[in-house]
Amino acid sequence: MLSKNKTGWLLLSPTILILVLVGLVPFFYVLYVGFFKWNPLAVDPSMQFEGLGFNYRRLIFDQVFLESIWRSIKFAFVTLFFELTLGFLLALSLLSSFPLKSFFRGVHTLPLVIAPIVVGSIFKLFTVQGLGPLPHILKDYFGYTLNYGLHADQAFWMIVIMDIWHWTPFVTLTLLAGLSALPQDPYESAKIDGANNFQIFFYITIPMMIPVLIVVIFIRLMDSLKIVDEIWMLTGGGPGYATRFTGIHIWKEVFEKRFYGLGSAMSILYLYITIVICWILYSVMVSRGKDED
Amino acid sequence: MRKLLFAVIASIFSFSAMAGGHADWFKKAGAPYSGTVLQGVAENTPPGQFAGEVLAKEFEKLTGIKVQLENTSWDQMYDKAIKDMEANSGIYDFVYIEQDIVYDYLNRDFLVNITEGLANNPDLQAPGVSLDDFTTFIDYFKDDSGDVFGVPMEAFIKVYLYRKDLFERADAKASFRAQYGYGLSPATSFDQYRDNAEFFTHYCADQGMECWGTTVQGHTGHPASTYEFLESIAPSFGLYNWGVNMDTYQSCVENGGQLNGGRAKAALNFWTQLLPFAPPEALQSTWSEVGSSFAAGRAAQGWVYGENAAWIATDAEKSAVVGNVGVMLPPTAPGVMTQAASGNGYIGYYDGGAYGIPHSSKNKEATMLWLQYVALNEHQADWAIAGGRITHKGTYADPKVMAVDEQADGYFTLMRDTGFLYAGAPPFPFHGAGRGAIDPFIYSALAGEMTPEEALDGACAALDQVMSDLGYQN
Repeated sequence: MLSKNKTGWLLLSPTILILVLVGLVPFFYVLYVGFFKWNPLAVDPSMQFEGLGFNYRRLIFDQVFLESIWRSIKFAFVTLFFELTLGFLLALSLLSSFPLKSFFRGVHTLPLVIAPIVVGSIFKLFTVQGLGPLPHILKDYFGYTLNYGLHADQAFWMIVIMDIWHWTPFVTLTLLAGLSALPQDPYESAKIDGANNFQIFFYITIPMMIPVLIVVIFIRLMDSLKIVDEIWMLTGGGPGYATRFTGIHIWKEVFEKRFYGLGSAMSILYLYITIVICWILYSVMVSRGKDED
Repeated sequence: MRKLLFAVIASIFSFSAMAGGHADWFKKAGAPYSGTVLQGVAENTPPGQFAGEVLAKEFEKLTGIKVQLENTSWDQMYDKAIKDMEANSGIYDFVYIEQDIVYDYLNRDFLVNITEGLANNPDLQAPGVSLDDFTTFIDYFKDDSGDVFGVPMEAFIKVYLYRKDLFERADAKASFRAQYGYGLSPATSFDQYRDNAEFFTHYCADQGMECWGTTVQGHTGHPASTYEFLESIAPSFGLYNWGVNMDTYQSCVENGGQLNGGRAKAALNFWTQLLPFAPPEALQSTWSEVGSSFAAGRAAQGWVYGENAAWIATDAEKSAVVGNVGVMLPPTAPGVMTQAASGNGYIGYYDGGAYGIPHSSKNKEATMLWLQYVALNEHQADWAIAGGRITHKGTYADPKVMAVDEQADGYFTLMRDTGFLYAGAPPFPFHGAGRGAIDPFIYSALAGEMTPEEALDGACAALDQVMSDLGYQN
């Protein structure tokens, strides 16, 4: 038994070593730096310890940081809602047969293989005022002026649309895999009992899909909360603070302004908030699942 | 492309001409380092492209030292260079040092003292390279004792460009006089600039042309807009050094600064009020897009970086306004020109950069050879033509440069004769942090979310907070 364990640990050790090096060491370093006042551009560029709560106390009163968190949460839930709804509808439609289904599935999946920074570039070229086709089309045919360099709401919703375009295929494919694997017996029983499609969907499909939905929701929620690249390319966080989500804000504090200590504290606090949101959501979904069982 | 090809051919000739001169020395000096690969990172500008595509290849042919120059975006360039130097990883043997960041780099001891390095290695001192050949722009890359930490590879001024063909139209002239009561001409005052901008916006629309009255480098999510305001618009209104009191490091008026003072507010009001007369892409335009917009014929006038001025005026493959570009000094408020001439102010930004060697470089000696190679007088004329930059005094008198100067409406002459009216960025070691604090307020003013007054009040408070946090106000 002991020998078996030894072999197992030996085989696992490279993976554990990599995880420690690329995961735990940087995490604890950031945690450590977060306790210091440290900016290499300062008159005193050394790391100064001013109490465990120095940076964290400051963050509680940092309006820009707090607003960026609220903005990120709003963005994450808005995109999650649309991606889940659209993804579910598309997954259900892909269960049935229709002409050019394979072609549609291929095209629909394309955005998934594009790097986020490229997605940002595509949207920028497509939507930039004066040169991109979309503002021309909207203006010429609908009399609508699209200028997200000027209008904060447009900038926010443009990023929402970009994220939906990019990630709905992921939701569709994952849910499609889940739907395809569902047992058929409950459906047959429900039909024999006279249930309509609406009842079948809400009382059979949704409850059976909860494990898959939990996975999709967590992946998308965590991804949305840490979005940076696409926004960086499309709006740079502007106009003003309109699209300065927490990821962008931390980047600017750390790499533009070099507030390493404060930026590290922001990262840790944001990680904590992300974990709490996911934990609450998980608890709600699991307890609801149990109730329905 | 044609221009770069011309530059390659021209430099092959100059390379042959050099063969009898410094080539033998470089060949001999480079022999011990043959096979070395030098890695560099720089902003992707026309001068950077010339260095990477022409000079690097010639240098490799001579010495066997390969130079891989990564010309990338401005943001990426900083990101990569600074991370490398902070981590001391030694990925890059040379980095681009923009004039405004040099104080930060020197403060953090990122760079090798080139003067000292060459003095300690006499065998590496190339004949034909003299620091005296450089324009005074090299002074920005010296420390207090006069030692050089960067070899200038580009330098240019931000000028006022205007469309001669539009300004010379008889119907435009008549219409302008009828509307404004005075003659149409390139702007020498802000009121005239605004009138021109308004006039050409309507004129172009009436004529069915896709053009507007002025460029505005007004990206609402990129520091380019803050730079246009702080380095071009504000100085021309007489607001210098970002409005920071250089003795106390305070920027708000109530603390002795100027960033939210009358001149600053007048400047920001003027600039934001130009937006209705700018091409629709103005709020998503950095310096590159401004150059492209002007080259595409989408603006009648504007503040444009000199690195773009030469190609806009001469490169018919990339520019639709070749032969129609006028170059002048930008308009200034009363008294500003006098202050600039006496050395007590400046009218705009003397931009540029140098190649420097990080301490973390693993090939310092070979890199010193490369930096001296790019500093040779022989390359300067072709480099100036390809990139609109001049770093050596003698380049202005080169016949090839003079010919291009004529095509570019005297841009090089203007730079030579009036360069002293311009200045580089103020010597703030906290440059990036300070600018980062101001950025969102400029973005908000441009987007109309704040009035210029509110934006500057907020900007100065944020900048003061940063300077206080960093310990400069003690």
